[in-house]
Amino acid sequence: MGKRDLSEYSICKDAQAMIAKAREDGVETVWDRLREQEPHCGFCELGLSCRNCIMGPCRIDPFGNGPQRGVCGADADVVVARNFGRMVAAGAAAHSDHGRDLIETLLAVGEGTTADYGIRDEAKLRRIAEEVGLAVAGKDAKAVALELAEQFFNDFGCRRGSISFIDRVPAKRRALWEKVGITPRGIDRDVVEMLHRTHMGVDNDAVNICLHAARLSLADGWGGSMIATEVSDILFGTPTPRTSKVNLGVLKADQVNILVHGHSPIVSEMILAAVHAPALLAKAKAAGAQGINLAGLCCTGNELLMRQGIPMAGNHLMTELALVTGAVEVVVVDYQCIMPSLVTVAGCYHSRIVTTSPKAKFTGATHIEFDVHNARQKAVEVVELAIERFKVRDAGRVEIPVEPVEVMTGFSNEAVLAALGGTAAPLIEAIKAGKIRGAVGIVGCNNPKVKQDYQNSNLIRECIKRDLLVLVTGCVTVSAGKQGLLMPAAADLAGPGLSEVCKALGIPPVLHVGSCVDNSRILQLCGMLATALGVDISDLPVAAAAPEWYSEKAATIGLYAVASGIFTVLGLAPPILGSKVVTDLAVSGLEGVVGASFAVEGDPVKAAELIDARIRVKRTALGLTP
Amino acid sequence: MLKKTVIVRPELCVGCMQCMIRCAQAHSQSKSLACAIREEILAKPRIHLGVGPENKPFPNKCRHCEPAPCQEACMPWAIRDDIAQGLKIVDPTRCIGCGMCAMACPYYVIRFYQDAGAPERPSVAVKCDGCHERVAAGAIPACVAACKTGALTFDEVNLYLKQGTNRLANAVYGVKA
Ligand code: SF4
Ligand code: SF4
Ligand code: SF4
Ligand code: SF4
Repeated sequence: MGKRDLSEYSICKDAQAMIAKAREDGVETVWDRLREQEPHCGFCELGLSCRNCIMGPCRIDPFGNGPQRGVCGADADVVVARNFGRMVAAGAAAHSDHGRDLIETLLAVGEGTTADYGIRDEAKLRRIAEEVGLAVAGKDAKAVALELAEQFFNDFGCRRGSISFIDRVPAKRRALWEKVGITPRGIDRDVVEMLHRTHMGVDNDAVNICLHAARLSLADGWGGSMIATEVSDILFGTPTPRTSKVNLGVLKADQVNILVHGHSPIVSEMILAAVHAPALLAKAKAAGAQGINLAGLCCTGNELLMRQGIPMAGNHLMTELALVTGAVEVVVVDYQCIMPSLVTVAGCYHSRIVTTSPKAKFTGATHIEFDVHNARQKAVEVVELAIERFKVRDAGRVEIPVEPVEVMTGFSNEAVLAALGGTAAPLIEAIKAGKIRGAVGIVGCNNPKVKQDYQNSNLIRECIKRDLLVLVTGCVTVSAGKQGLLMPAAADLAGPGLSEVCKALGIPPVLHVGSCVDNSRILQLCGMLATALGVDISDLPVAAAAPEWYSEKAATIGLYAVASGIFTVLGLAPPILGSKVVTDLAVSGLEGVVGASFAVEGDPVKAAELIDARIRVKRTALGLTP
Repeated sequence: MLKKTVIVRPELCVGCMQCMIRCAQAHSQSKSLACAIREEILAKPRIHLGVGPENKPFPNKCRHCEPAPCQEACMPWAIRDDIAQGLKIVDPTRCIGCGMCAMACPYYVIRFYQDAGAPERPSVAVKCDGCHERVAAGAIPACVAACKTGALTFDEVNLYLKQGTNRLANAVYGVKA
C-alpha cells in the first residue's frame, strides 16, 4: 500500500487501523490492487473501447490522431452508447435476478413445497396482491402468495403491456414515458433487448440506445428492484424503526463471529435463525466461545439491519478489512459486490468464505448450496463450520479496533407513514412550510478511488444543514451510521427546520430506508408525494446522489432516478466522457426529455450546492419559499 | 545523480496504446483525460506504434541522440538542449514547420501538428520531450507509467544493462530468473 498516509484511504478509524494491520500481516487489499492498475486504460475510462465483435477489438482515439471508427464503422458516440447500455443492462439484470429469486421463494411458499420459509407479513401480501389487481377475498395466504408470484413472474417476460407496479407512477410521468417511448415493457425483455441492440449492426444511434437504457433502468427501479423489496417484506417482515450498531466494533473477541455478505435476505435470514438455535449455542460454548455473533456487510447486511436490527460490520471497502481483524470465522455470501479477493484474504487467517448460490461460486471457497427446501439445514452446517473455525482462531492475531456506534434503522415507507399518523400529509405540510425544504436520496457504494466514506458522509452533513431530509440505502448507510448521522441526536447538525421536525418525531435527519434494491422505496415515496400534490416527480423538491459509486447496478439506479424525474449527482463520472453526444445528453439533454439530468461532482460541498440550487428552483416553481 | 531514460523492449509490447493516450494527456493543457479530449487544440502522443509482421506492435519514440541529427538539420534552432539536460526538446515558438528534422531523424519519431505551445502556427514538429516536467516533479514519464507489460521502463541505461547481463549469466548457467 505504499507509503501513503492511512488517512488518505479512509476517514474511518477502523479502516485505518485494519489497513495498517494488513500491511503488517502482508495482506494485499483493494487499495494495493488499485495502485497496480493505475493509470487505468484511458480508452476504457472514456468508454471508447469496443469488444463487441472479433473484427475488433477496437479503440477510438480521443485525441483525433488515430482511428475515429471501429472496424465496423462505429464512431465514438455509438461505441460509448453501446458500452453504457450494456453497463445499465448488467445492473438491471443483477437487481432483477435477485428479485426473481424472491419470487421463487414466494412461489415455493404458495405451493407449500418449503417448510423453511413462510409469510411474515400477511397483511402486506394481501395489500400488494390487491394493488396489482388480484382478487384476494376468501383466499388463504398460500393461495394469494401463489397468484402473486405468478403475476410477478409475468413482469419478467412481456406478455402484458407493462410491469405490475406501473400504477405507482404518477399519471404525468406515465404520459411522459409514453410520449418518449420509454415505458418499461418487461424486465427480462428490456434487458435482453439491450444486448440485442448493442450487437454489431443493430442500434447505431447513440441517443436511441440511451433512451432504451433509460427504459430498461425503469424496468429495474419500478420492476425488478421494487418486486425484490416488496416480496422481501412479505416473506421476512416489513421493517419498523429499531436501533442497532455499526463498524468493526460489532465483532466480538470472545464469540464465534459470522458475517453475512451479499444482497438477498433469503440466505442471511436462515443464518440468523440458525445462530439462535440452542444446540448450536451449546456447541459454541463447548468450543470455548461465549456465544455466536452475527453481523452484516453490504446489502444483505442492510436487509437484516432493517428488518431484524442485526448490526453492520461495514460497507464495501470494509469487507476485506473485516477479515483482517482475525476475528471472523466465516463470511457467508450470496451474490453481488463480493470481491473475489476475499478468498485470498481469508486464507491469510483462519477464516472461511462460504458460497451459497449456484450462480456465485468462488474458487477456493467452501460451497454449501442453499435452496428453498434445505435452507435451514444448510444454515446449521454453516454455523457448525464457524464453530469449528473458532477452535483454530489465533487469538494473538485478533484486533478489533473500535467501539461500535449506535444507529437507528427500519424506515420503510409503511413505517414512515405510520410515524406520520397514517398519511403523507404531515410530511407534505412540513415541505410546504419550508421546515423540510426537500429530500435527497444519498445512495451507492464505496470506491477506492476516493477516500472511503468522505464524500458519502460529508454530502449528508451538507444536505441536512440545508434542511434537506436525507434518505440512505446501501453502503452509504454504514458511511452515515459510523459518523453518528443515523441517530436522533444528529438533528443538532441539521438546519433549524429539519432539526425541529426530527426532534418532534424523535427521528434522525438521515433515514435508513434499506438496501440498494430498496431504492425502490424512495421511488414509491416520490410517486406518492407527486400524486398527492397532482404534479410530476420532476416537479418535486427532491434529488439523488451516488457520491462513491462503483458498480454497474449503481449506474442503473442513477439512470432510473433520472428517468423518473430526479436530478442525480454522481461523485465519479461514468465511462461516457469519450462521446460528446452521450455526455451532453446525460448532463443537460435529458432535462428536456425526462425533466431531470445528471451532474458529476466529487466535492461534497459543491455537490450539495448543486442539489440546493435544484431544490430552490423546484420549490419556487411550486409557489413555495425557496 | 544517475541519468534515467526510457528504455523500450518491443518484444514485451501488446499494442494496447496506453502509452500513446497517456502521453497525449500528459502534454495537454489540463492534464486530466476527461478535459484534455475537449481542448481546442488537442494534444498529441509523442510515442508511436509501428505494425510489424503478424501484427507485432513496435513502440517507437525519440532516442534523444547526441549529437542529434534533427538538431543539426534545424535552421532556426528550434530543437533545444538547454531546457532539460540530455533531452532534445522542440521549442514550438521557434519551429517553422519545415520538416528538416523529420527527414534527418533516422527513427521516424517526429510528427507535425498544431500545438498549444504556439497556437498561431498551423503546424510544428511534435516529439518526445522526455516528460521533463513530470520528471522534475518526481514522477516518471507518462508512457512508462501507463505501460503494464514492462515494454517501457525508466532506468539508468548501464544499471539496466547490468541487470540484463546478470539475467544472461543465470540463463547460461541454467538458473530460472
Ligand atoms: S462492433 Fe465494431 S467497434 Fe466493436 S469490436 Fe466490432 S468492429 Fe470494432
Ligand atoms: S528526433 Fe530522431 S534524431 Fe532527433 S534526437 Fe530524437 S531520435 Fe534522434
Ligand atoms: S520542423 Fe521545426 S524543429 Fe523541425 S527542423 Fe524545421 S524548424 Fe526545426
Ligand atoms: S503501453 Fe506498453 S504495451 Fe501498451 S502499446 Fe505502449 S509500449 Fe506497448
